[in-house]
Amino acid sequence: MIERCLGPHRCRRIQRALRHLKVTVLCLVLTVVVLRGTIGAGKFGTPEQDLDEIRQHFQPSRKRAEPHRVLEEIQTGGDSDSSSAASGAGGSNNYETFEINKIFVDEGEEEKPDPNKPYTLGPKISDWDEQRSDWLAKNPTFPNFIGPNKPRVLLVTGSAPKPCENPVGDHYLLKSIKNKIDYCRLHGIEIFYNMALLDAEMAGFWAKLPLIRKLLLSHPEVEFLWWMDSDAMFTDMAFELPWERYKEYNLVMHGWNEMVYDEKNWIGLNTGSFLLRNNQWALDLLDTWAPMGPKGKIREEAGKVLTRELKGRPVFEADDQSAMVYLLATQRDTWGNKVYLENGYYLHGYWGILVDRYEEMIENYHPGLGDHRWPLVTHFVGCKPCGKFGDYPVERCLKQMDRAFNFGDNQILQIYGFTHKSLASRKVKRVRNETSNPLEMKDELGLLHPAFKAVKLQTNQV
Amino acid sequence: MVQDALRTSGSGGGLPTTAVWNGGGRGRGFLRGWQVQNTSINIKIMILCGFVTILVLLGTVSFGNLGSSNADAVNQNLIKETEPILAESPSASVPTDLEELPKPEANPPTDLEEPPIAEEPSKPEANPPPELEEPPKAEVNPNVTYTLGPRITNWDSQRKVWLNQNPGFPSIVNGKARILLLTGSPPGPCDKPIGDYYLLKTVKNKIDYCRIHGIEIVYNMAHLDEELSGYWTKLPMIRRLMLSHPEVEWIWWMDSDALFTDILFEIPMSRYEKHNLVIHGYPDLLFNQKSWVALNTGVFLLRNCQWSLDLLDAWAPMGPKGPIRDEAGKVLTAYLKGRPAFEADDQSALIYLLLSQKEKWMEKVYVENQYYLHGFWEGLVDKYEEMIEKYHPGLGDERWPFVTHFVGCKPCGSYADYAEERCFKGMERAFNFADNQVLKLYGFSHMGLLSPKVKRIRNETVSPLEFVDKFDIRRTHEETKP
Repeated sequence: MIERCLGPHRCRRIQRALRHLKVTVLCLVLTVVVLRGTIGAGKFGTPEQDLDEIRQHFQPSRKRAEPHRVLEEIQTGGDSDSSSAASGAGGSNNYETFEINKIFVDEGEEEKPDPNKPYTLGPKISDWDEQRSDWLAKNPTFPNFIGPNKPRVLLVTGSAPKPCENPVGDHYLLKSIKNKIDYCRLHGIEIFYNMALLDAEMAGFWAKLPLIRKLLLSHPEVEFLWWMDSDAMFTDMAFELPWERYKEYNLVMHGWNEMVYDEKNWIGLNTGSFLLRNNQWALDLLDTWAPMGPKGKIREEAGKVLTRELKGRPVFEADDQSAMVYLLATQRDTWGNKVYLENGYYLHGYWGILVDRYEEMIENYHPGLGDHRWPLVTHFVGCKPCGKFGDYPVERCLKQMDRAFNFGDNQILQIYGFTHKSLASRKVKRVRNETSNPLEMKDELGLLHPAFKAVKLQTNQV
Repeated sequence: MVQDALRTSGSGGGLPTTAVWNGGGRGRGFLRGWQVQNTSINIKIMILCGFVTILVLLGTVSFGNLGSSNADAVNQNLIKETEPILAESPSASVPTDLEELPKPEANPPTDLEEPPIAEEPSKPEANPPPELEEPPKAEVNPNVTYTLGPRITNWDSQRKVWLNQNPGFPSIVNGKARILLLTGSPPGPCDKPIGDYYLLKTVKNKIDYCRIHGIEIVYNMAHLDEELSGYWTKLPMIRRLMLSHPEVEWIWWMDSDALFTDILFEIPMSRYEKHNLVIHGYPDLLFNQKSWVALNTGVFLLRNCQWSLDLLDAWAPMGPKGPIRDEAGKVLTAYLKGRPAFEADDQSALIYLLLSQKEKWMEKVYVENQYYLHGFWEGLVDKYEEMIEKYHPGLGDERWPFVTHFVGCKPCGSYADYAEERCFKGMERAFNFADNQVLKLYGFSHMGLLSPKVKRIRNETVSPLEFVDKFDIRRTHEETKP
């Protein structure tokens, strides 16, 4: 039929071409198969991998589990059943499809708060100062000052009990806690990492209040409790807080007097990083601060009040920071004289104005300043790496968190003679050779054995 | 020639061209002959293609076939060898935390004709299948012995002088030797997000234990040495920390997949005054069986002294990535009982070192098994409820294990040696079991060993200090001090 259409000559040519094409395709396929079999083709894999996959598909845990199953510990009770059950019934060993939330099981009932009673953090204590000083006198081995002008500090931070919704969130929480571990080790500060929700009514940003109260009451030896958000990182490892400055104060937050007392600006201070002294005043403050917190109607209504009363506050439920601004602005006489709003250094440093300047800082300045030249804390407000929706583009947030982490980590690594290859790189390189006289080397920042860490007296100071 | 045949007869269905050109009227006979020729050519082509296909498949699939049969043989051998071990010592410990699974070695197909296209490296010995995870760097010159750093011979005296000059940094604080806990994890996110979640929980667990017992933590997330990668990264870090911190008396290495489950228990340091390395294991498995799981290097203590520097120097040579580690792996597999074939790991290397140079090292090594300095998780995680019912914290042994070590679970990787549900359930239970001991001071407890939620177990009071006296673990230790 084709012949009739095109004429025999042309038809023959087409057929020839078709034949050639078939042969070419065949050879091509053969070549690809052979090459794949020998040198592999990257993500397309090799036939051996195909075989492996097929094998695994049909015999999920048999092959890998066997050599180790045999070497498992056999209990004297004869638990070989459990060991075989483990590898047989457990399904695949691939974490690809694993759903963590399936394994959580809550036993028992949660406590239901009495809706008629007003919320309280706990029964009112009025003699905490006396209780505490009695205890300290009886326990001289747990002094509240670990050195002259150096109070015992407990850094408190934490995250939600369940895994982050954002898949990389937990990794950034891990880096953040490592960062805090490093700073606190250098400065002789203890850490409490909280992963428990103590009071379901005070969930979210308010969760810190019951936790802080509980820790103050359980650790009378702690002089200052330093709350720090999980999205805040130390970027000046050498800066020691000026404890002397706060001798007469009970609450130290980053902020500006004018913005809080005059303007009533909702970001006049920041409750992401603050110091609270362990005394009666603090317990009273917590009791006064808490009432706007309980979840539900109370928090919603309080939110409206705060939006109305504070400058620049968007509409949303009451948060602890706005509530603190409101508390201080309206009850300045009661609380103001014991509150220090610090802005001489970055006890909290808003990341937006800091992260792009790290290279400039490295060039022009040095650690130990704590302020805009070399910030003590870079706080990633609004980034919410653990959740799904932040106020800023996720990529910028995560990239800058990596940079801030490396910026801080470099100060730790330089103690040991290393540094990150760049602020964006996880890899490290050596900057100081090993020697056979390691003790003669002084690290530049003097962070190995800083004066503020030296073990001193064990006396109490009230 | 084949091409010509194709052109003249037409492969598979083309019209016979030349025959037509030559004049169609030759007759049926000719046509039939021509058809036969056509068919035969087709058959030849088919046979040729089939032959090539078989060759190719044999060349590639044969690796897989031999590999699997090797693995089976290895498994059988393992089973045969370990049964007597297990019969004799019921509490044999188990494989350590391995970064990579032991891959059975594939023998080159010497009995088959290798297809000329497949380029095999011309080494006479078997090569493991190409590892796509870690491209081997051919930078290490096997003739130059790897060193952790320039040799130091007078570390004990250097340290003593420094301690004298720096009384603000003594090596003994409050009557206890200064200990530094070292742990770590890779610098990048885990293969699966759940891994990071569990790393976070295990670090919290370590923070809690160390806060209560006055131990400092160094959490390492940097690869200090490209060559000593994987399970070997701890060696350069340990050495670096020893030399930088002369005030530290002991470095305590702990794997990231190990959890403290007895928060009250304290290591009986007085037992180790004459020793420099404290490691969990069984002397019988070590000296008599030469088993590769006789000791566990997932959790151990190393004193900061010259002896330890020497040990690290003697331990490191099997570590450098590439041909050295591979060759060392073969030596270890041959020497140690029950070891599968894979590259050298730090645990096997240490056992080999201690056995082959017994007189030099063993005097200062304390092989501890009276408490679970390392406790294999599989036999422990199901028993927590029973332990809560019958026993109490502070025992540290099988009744209330000091450490539960999730060997083989590899939460940060993609594939584990055990079912992941069992692993994660176990880790969740172990974490909560330990966390309950920490939360007791605050009057809370988890709502079940599998629950991240907590419930109140003690009401708030106006005199909280009486409970502090009762439940604060640090105070308990203070009171029981002689």
